[in-house]
Amino acid sequence: MPGPVTVFSAKKIITMDASVGEATHVAVRDGIILEVGDVDDCAAWGPYILDDRFSDCVLIPGLIESHAHLLDGMLWAKSEYVGPVDRHDPSGKLREGLNNVPALIGRMKEIEARMADPTKPLIAWGVDPSLNDPITPITRHDLDQVSKTRPIFVLHTSCHIAYVNTATLALANYAAIKAPGVLRDASGTPTGELQEMASMMAAIRAVASDLIGGSTDAEQFYNFAKVAQARGATTIVDGGGSTYFEPAFLAAALAVTSVPDFPARIVAHHNGITVPSAQDMIKFAAMLKGEGNDKLVFQGVKILLDGSNQGFTGRLRPPGYLGTGVNGLWNRAPDELRQLVPALHDAGLQIVAHCNADQAAEMFIEAVTLAQARKPRFDHRHFIVHGQLLDESLLRRMVSLGIHATLFSNHLYYWGEFHRAHTFGAFRAAAMNPAATALRLGVVVAAHSDAPVSPVDPLLTLWCAANRVTSAGRVLGPGERVSAYDALKMMTFNAAYLLHRDHEIGSIRVGKRADFAVLAHDPLAVDPMTIKDIPVQATILGGRVFPIVG
Amino acid sequence: MIGGYLGAGKTTLLNRLLAEPHGMKLAVLVNDFGSVNVDAALIANRNGETISLTNGCVCCTIGDNLGLALHDLAERPDGPEHIIIEASGVADPGKIAHYAASHPRLVLDSIVVVADAETVRVRAADKYVGDLVRLQLATADVIVLSKTDLVGADACRPVQCWIESEVPDARLLATPGANLFAELLLGQRTALARRMGAGGDDHRQTFAAWTFSRERPLDGAALRATIASLPPAVLRAKGIVRLAEEPGRRFVLQLVGRRWSLERMDIDDSYDGLPSARSTIVCIGPAAQLDPARLEALFARVAPAIVPAAIAALLQREDRP
Repeated sequence: MPGPVTVFSAKKIITMDASVGEATHVAVRDGIILEVGDVDDCAAWGPYILDDRFSDCVLIPGLIESHAHLLDGMLWAKSEYVGPVDRHDPSGKLREGLNNVPALIGRMKEIEARMADPTKPLIAWGVDPSLNDPITPITRHDLDQVSKTRPIFVLHTSCHIAYVNTATLALANYAAIKAPGVLRDASGTPTGELQEMASMMAAIRAVASDLIGGSTDAEQFYNFAKVAQARGATTIVDGGGSTYFEPAFLAAALAVTSVPDFPARIVAHHNGITVPSAQDMIKFAAMLKGEGNDKLVFQGVKILLDGSNQGFTGRLRPPGYLGTGVNGLWNRAPDELRQLVPALHDAGLQIVAHCNADQAAEMFIEAVTLAQARKPRFDHRHFIVHGQLLDESLLRRMVSLGIHATLFSNHLYYWGEFHRAHTFGAFRAAAMNPAATALRLGVVVAAHSDAPVSPVDPLLTLWCAANRVTSAGRVLGPGERVSAYDALKMMTFNAAYLLHRDHEIGSIRVGKRADFAVLAHDPLAVDPMTIKDIPVQATILGGRVFPIVG
Repeated sequence: MIGGYLGAGKTTLLNRLLAEPHGMKLAVLVNDFGSVNVDAALIANRNGETISLTNGCVCCTIGDNLGLALHDLAERPDGPEHIIIEASGVADPGKIAHYAASHPRLVLDSIVVVADAETVRVRAADKYVGDLVRLQLATADVIVLSKTDLVGADACRPVQCWIESEVPDARLLATPGANLFAELLLGQRTALARRMGAGGDDHRQTFAAWTFSRERPLDGAALRATIASLPPAVLRAKGIVRLAEEPGRRFVLQLVGRRWSLERMDIDDSYDGLPSARSTIVCIGPAAQLDPARLEALFARVAPAIVPAAIAALLQREDRP
């Protein structure tokens, strides 16, 4: 028995469909789009309920975050965000960046004052002193101002550094600890800065054990989806680090996503990150075949080829990193990749390859070339994640092999100045994340945030691709800016295509899921520099309205 | 820390080390069990990420968190005496060693990098991994050249020369047998080596030891200069010494290949009832290369000239105009 028909009216509906570009009404039944047109067109499906609460707004296809990590949801669940970058929390509230130590301490004092149990540790995340003004270290003296008695643990946004107060140092007995990762002041007392996981492990075990180990808490999934929903996303990718192959984790994920008010769809990549062998990756993918529900599906196996550019661990072609000429690190050996990629390809899997710098991309292209020579496959949709230094010659080889990409356009804004000054220099910084060239050559391109590395905010990501403006206001490579329409397509249809979901989501078309983002203004009509500031009024997921709470 | 590019032979050496009755409690951290090949008779039990052996050793997988794996081993009440970490084939062993040494209960002993005599030069010229292979070699305290038996001595010599030119001051050990490798890693004669005499199970190559001993405190500056200029044949040295600069304390010398330290012992003399003023240093290296005469000459300068204080004062007075 079909359910009732709902017709949503809008000032304008941007469909992102190639055939019918605009409309004013969309009819929905049982989560599926019945008709897109005007109110009379929709009436052809019989009696309907008119939902006109968004009649002053613009409807676009639900935005798709094509690469993020569930860790983001875990951090929101287990700790307080106190970083220097503006982020929307799971309730949709903007947490303004705290870019100096007094502001950080002020915020932490407020948080501390709200905590009832005086023995409960205060766990926070997201700090990055290099983005502060002035750049000053965070010490136990600073954190002792928040509390001398309550253990405090603050995780750096990179997760490689932690800052703790005297109470935590005492609890974890750091006085007795002599290790290079435990920074000390002139008197030999630990400063409170712990570098690298090995040196912070005693503190984590003592006060923040929630941050490690495979949590099955529902809250991490909710937060992950809510942060995305608050910024207009109806689908978010969990990029391959999670352990869905573990029965308890899978059961938890299935349970939470099957609740009707779960606010976004999750497309999870199979784990090729912590799972070492091709054999196990293929086995786990087979195990998860047929698993999932309306809001949780498994697609593609994620593998890592190199590190991160801002961490100087991306694999670059010559001349390497600016000034020093050094190169980064492989995550898997090229000799192994020449076996692994063909094995996954032969098994019929889609390969999602983290290639941050250009030599990693070249290696992946070479491995896919081997795989295609051995067993040609059509429509495999292997794609590169990040691909920050792809150039025309790499992109042309990708086109011929059927490899696509989701670019890390947010880097242009957050790290653009850093890359120009420290990692790539002027030319390569201007050539980063070349969306315009990639689209021109026929690569299906999306863009992403890699949350928690940068905040989940598809409108901001879209804005980055369209404007290529750094945080200092410099335009990097104006020739690689894309139109607002193309940028929107990157964040909708193209992302859906990469995820093998373009038959279901990514545009507003009859027969597809009724997933929409409701915006206050038309992103194709406003000054492109203001796209990121367009208020998101709500999302609609399978016809169900999810208001923005914050 | 054991490093080296994929296929260099790290696991082969580790498998032999695990099976060797060296009488020590070792923990070996590997990337995955897939390549670990220990005789089933030696396995006491297998529990998830850990294989316990009947000889008291354990083998664990690193999983996705080396910090956690190290922490759990270091905090065990009956923890191992040594932890041997197998770096992945693409890791910078220096970086991982530094990371591991940042754990409060761990001290870095050495970085051993295994190089495949057959392929290392090709790898070092590869566009994808050349810089990495050269970085790994440059990071090594000791380079173990593997598969030299497959290559043969004639082909091996140019590889050794190439490494010596690529890595100044490289300390090279060619295809050691299990007990030699254990000795290199653990810094002491293994049970098997003791039982079988100096030759152990390895007939091609044996380690020799040379001992230096003096009753009087040594000249610290001269000792440091001597250690820094030891010939590459000295792969390990250990010692407890007195220095003229602080005769009331003992200092510990540790050397593995190019890495060495000379540190003052925190405990005072009465602590362990070893009042001896004697300084003793043992140098270990391949028997064929360790040259006692050269070492005698090098160490000659670290013993201060025996000039009684009264005579020195007299000489000084005579100098005055």
